[in-house]
Amino acid sequence: MNRKMRSLHRSMGALVALFVLMLAVTGILLNHTSDFDLDKRHLTWDWLLDHYGLANAEADAVYLLDRHTISQFGSQVFINAKPVTQSHVPILGGVMIDDLMVLATEDALLLFSPEGEFVERMGDSVGVPAMIQNIGLFHGDPVVQTRNGMWRSDFMLDQWEQLSLNGVGWSEPHAMPSLVQDELSQYFRGNGVTVERVVLDIHNGRILGKYGVWFADLVGVFLVLISLTGLWLWLRRRL
Amino acid sequence: MSQYKDPLRVLIFMGLILSSFTVFARGVYQTDQDFLTEVFNNSVPKSKVVWMKADLASTVAELLGHKYAGLRIRYWRNEQRSAWILEEIGKEKPITFGIVVAEGKIENIKVLAFRESRGGEIRHPAFTQQFKLVQLDDMQLDRNIDGVSGATLSVRAMTVVARLALYLDKFTG
Repeated sequence: MNRKMRSLHRSMGALVALFVLMLAVTGILLNHTSDFDLDKRHLTWDWLLDHYGLANAEADAVYLLDRHTISQFGSQVFINAKPVTQSHVPILGGVMIDDLMVLATEDALLLFSPEGEFVERMGDSVGVPAMIQNIGLFHGDPVVQTRNGMWRSDFMLDQWEQLSLNGVGWSEPHAMPSLVQDELSQYFRGNGVTVERVVLDIHNGRILGKYGVWFADLVGVFLVLISLTGLWLWLRRRL
Repeated sequence: MSQYKDPLRVLIFMGLILSSFTVFARGVYQTDQDFLTEVFNNSVPKSKVVWMKADLASTVAELLGHKYAGLRIRYWRNEQRSAWILEEIGKEKPITFGIVVAEGKIENIKVLAFRESRGGEIRHPAFTQQFKLVQLDDMQLDRNIDGVSGATLSVRAMTVVARLALYLDKFTG
């Protein structure tokens, strides 16, 4: 049993040695991200940006409000091609109320000035209904559709009454205007990818997509097995 | 045979012990609404807003170390206290804080939501109680706050948010 365990231990060690080296080096770099400014240095190699799909980044959501294009890429929200705020939940729609842009997420309303400046996030603390699915206007008043029904407020957005309405003008997604798409592509390419991101993706296998992640998981499993077989051999000797 | 002479059982035991040290810091610990209900004993006053106009905006930027990400801040006030729900980035993600100010001093400060993988120790009362009765002294807290190893940025976020709440309480009072 000992011989088999030793042989297994050695074979797995040889197999994963290179990957352990790679994990160790990238791990050490990541531990010192701030010291090396890895999160402030950017790579703009064309092949790398293409690999990350940055040249052709597709928005998760696009809405048109008055003359503004609202788009969301991951957690970054843009008004036209200007990043304005972060939202870790999807934007579900938007309306204009007076001259304020009001974007809806499932648990809050995000307000922006006509110049695209972030005003405030209004959530349950001011009575905005939860589980929002869409936002619209009914004769100029904001209406939200939630999983619990429909709610209407006024321009202050802090008093909501539940009711049922027909004829609400609901927000709908829109195609990205080509002019804004061009500006956004320039924005994404201009910054490039941070060195930290590339090192992290090498570390966790994500640089090779989902197969890279599975492979990294497999290396992890081998490392666990090596640890356990090594401990087994050590304990057998001691005990 | 004694279990201490069986390596397999020892390995399993060690594996269980090691897995129990996994700490999950991320989460919503209290919703904004529940926080306000608790602070004002179910009689939450109507909220008010303070707009970040030029002078105030620059003072707030000085307190936070950066421009405030919003044109207005909402607060709740009754005769005894004011309550503020403010967000500040820790390392990369925002931390949501609830702060209660009474008579110009911090009555309570809580982490309502924590979104990062490290630094969540600041939510524990053992840490937050350092802020009780702290007030502003020339734009700084009048007391030194002891840090937490591995949570420097979270501690910084809570400290600047405490300063901001104290200042805004005085500004809007």
